[in-house]
Amino acid sequence: MKEHDAIITVNHLNLHYGEHHALKEIEVGFARHKVTALIGPSGCGKSTLLRCLNRMNDLVENVRIEGEVRFEGTDIYAPEVDVVEIRKQIGMVFQRPNPFPKSIYENVAYGPRVHGVRDRSTLDAVVEKSLRDAALWDEVKDRLDAPAFSLSGGQQQRLCIARTLAVEPEVVLMDEPCSALDPIATAKIEALIEELKTRYTVIIVTHNMQQAARASDYTGFMYLGELVEFGDTPQVFEAPREELTERYITGRFG
Amino acid sequence: MSEKFHEELDTLKEEFLEYGHFARGMLVDAFEALKTGDEDLARSVLARKGELADRSDAFDERLLKLIALYQPMAQDLRAILCTLRMNASLYRIGRYGKDIALLVPHFAGAGHLGRMLNLPHMAGIVVSMVDDVLRAYGAGDISPIKDLSARDDCVDDLRYSVFREALTYMMEDPQHIERGMDYVMVARYLERCGDHCCAMGEKVHFMLTGERIEIK
Repeated sequence: MKEHDAIITVNHLNLHYGEHHALKEIEVGFARHKVTALIGPSGCGKSTLLRCLNRMNDLVENVRIEGEVRFEGTDIYAPEVDVVEIRKQIGMVFQRPNPFPKSIYENVAYGPRVHGVRDRSTLDAVVEKSLRDAALWDEVKDRLDAPAFSLSGGQQQRLCIARTLAVEPEVVLMDEPCSALDPIATAKIEALIEELKTRYTVIIVTHNMQQAARASDYTGFMYLGELVEFGDTPQVFEAPREELTERYITGRFG
Repeated sequence: MSEKFHEELDTLKEEFLEYGHFARGMLVDAFEALKTGDEDLARSVLARKGELADRSDAFDERLLKLIALYQPMAQDLRAILCTLRMNASLYRIGRYGKDIALLVPHFAGAGHLGRMLNLPHMAGIVVSMVDDVLRAYGAGDISPIKDLSARDDCVDDLRYSVFREALTYMMEDPQHIERGMDYVMVARYLERCGDHCCAMGEKVHFMLTGERIEIK
């Protein structure tokens, strides 16, 4: 995997929550402009790994991280690195849609404003482009001033994606982005992921194996803090190399 | 839910194996009827035609249902794919049995031409191929199907020998043409059955190992 054109590479990554060794010697590369899915049972460390990729775990108490996460060759845990800049380039979408209690427009414009964009026409253009990229523009273009909470759950999630895209990230991390959505909204997000990979690198954590099989190019299976298997998605789901993966994806676990 | 799925899949595979022996039985009985000119046995093969089709359709339906309800992955998905494809092949093999049974009346009174050695030999090999594919499928072991390709080559060669043999009989006497042509047809059916066995062998291999191979 490392020989691919990886935008993020992870080397000997170990993470402890206090005494708990939550990630063990993770070695992986995330390919540029591809979708990579991380699957595994609850508590296997997949979300923890995802959060390491843009230093979201910095916010957790008692966390100790060893090893490297390199984004475009730069170790994102190096002391001189600006965390805000990292999180701008590596955006994140969460499980539950979490729009700000503001208008649709303001939700998307928030990020660019924080990063110093003041000009109204520039903001208008960013908002439109981000909403278009998130496949939401046609549904909301006539009510940009409406509160974000007036949208449906699926629309709110796409709004959150638009908000992430507004700061022009290189990588979009998605932590169970569809688990709070109905099947139709889920299908829209999946179609959107397919679209996004032409310009962004997408890394998605999901419980839904069919979703991983449908939406991703590469799949990593994690168990008890270890990356058990990593490979092309069709290979992992059709003929996994590891017995543990086989047992998990065929539901023979436990 | 997954426990229920695996129970259903295991039961289905057992029943499917039984279906495989049913289809094999049609081929074996039809060939025996041909050899001995036994019209009763031929009729009994023809009478199984409807059941062959109904059971095949029922397996397709159950397999599709398993996919729709459980979205199986990895070895389970491979087992379903393999069973679907084998279902089509075994149905064809049963149908070739029926086709052979239809020719039996030509031999019932008139007997065979010459000693007819090649055809039973060919049938024996084909039946062994069916048996071993079913054994590999049932036991989850690829060793019985390792030499399918060599056996299929043998079947192909024998088809040609049967053709040459039949041609000789037909040249001797125009009265022999109908039965001579029958031999050529039966050889063709058996050769197709051999090809179906190879196709099934490939699927069984994929089901058990996850590796796609070509058996030719």
